[in-house]
Amino acid sequence: MTDRDTVRLESLEPDDLDGHTIDELADYLDAGMQPADPSIDDSAACQNALAAIVRLRHSSLGSLEAAAEQEAPADESWISGVLANISLEARAGRDVPLRPAAPTERPVMTEGAIRSLVRTAGDAVPDALIARCTLEGDVTELGAPVHIVVEIAVRAGSTIQRVAADVRETVGQVLATQTDLLVEAVDVVVRDLLPPPTSDDTAAHDDTEEDPA
Amino acid sequence: MHHQPLTDLDDAVLAGRSSDGDVRAFEVLIRRYTPLLRAYARRTLGSTDELDDVVQETFITAWNRLDRLDDGARVKAWLMRILSRKCIDRIRARRFHDDVTELEVAAPAADAPERVAEARSREEAVETALAELPEAQRRCWVMKEVLEYSYEAIAEELDLPASTVRGLLSRARKNMIRLMEGWR
Repeated sequence: MTDRDTVRLESLEPDDLDGHTIDELADYLDAGMQPADPSIDDSAACQNALAAIVRLRHSSLGSLEAAAEQEAPADESWISGVLANISLEARAGRDVPLRPAAPTERPVMTEGAIRSLVRTAGDAVPDALIARCTLEGDVTELGAPVHIVVEIAVRAGSTIQRVAADVRETVGQVLATQTDLLVEAVDVVVRDLLPPPTSDDTAAHDDTEEDPA
Repeated sequence: MHHQPLTDLDDAVLAGRSSDGDVRAFEVLIRRYTPLLRAYARRTLGSTDELDDVVQETFITAWNRLDRLDDGARVKAWLMRILSRKCIDRIRARRFHDDVTELEVAAPAADAPERVAEARSREEAVETALAELPEAQRRCWVMKEVLEYSYEAIAEELDLPASTVRGLLSRARKNMIRLMEGWR
């Protein structure tokens, strides 16, 4: 930051950088300064230039975040437009057969619809929130054994084993009553903790429920 | 428990639920990252009326490919990369006839250091300095320093020889360092 640094950084050619190019220095930095190169590490000019590159990198990222803060929040009608343009089918997954009521029927439910059932049921369990649900096994074959993996987030401060057991039971029940899957096991993986409840949780709840548009 | 508001959830949970087909979780990601993506697109394409479209296309592509995102916690960087490709496609369509040699000799305007020096914050100074870079240099710089692309990946994306990318980045680096050293 002294005048001397400024002078040194004026040209940035090898003559001023003890024989190195600015690009060699950037590459050295990219490689985590490994293997160590004493001709760079022991050169004051190179160290100045490296420091300038590091400062620049930090502020390049920072400036994008700062620019993002200057952007207006996403426009509501634009968001509706995006959502209208995404295809639910893209996330529907495999077709899962249901037991036909008549021999001519071929009823199916999509994997996406089953995940949605799991999500709704699991979210209703106190202190739990479904992060992800995976159906393992050949779900396209009626009667094939299926393994359900449910990843959840659990409210901090609650009893994790109790919540996981509740989710396992609730998910097992909803699948038994609403699908014809042969569920061998429901595995619950705790992925994350949710922040403990705060006094304004009820208010936040009301906000999100009221405003689906 | 009452419903947990989805807006408070972290990226990994939202990405997982989106991948499972939860549109409401995806909507939260859209709200969360639209300003950042717009800022990135503005930096790459300039302030055009294409920004809304290119960000919309990014989210639609992301939705269709969510199952290929291995680590939901990295959804932000992943979205930026999808967007970067969309921007490059637009640039390509806009001006495929760019003369590479001309691009390489372009330099910031003579009064650029003055404008950078007037910035009120380091972030604003970088923004101003970037805006002063010739377009091809800025594009390479942002891909390298913000998206952390390799030289080879930039060359491939921009359909330029790797040596040209190295040249552009070299100039961009020197220009940026010089311009930023003028800011205190």
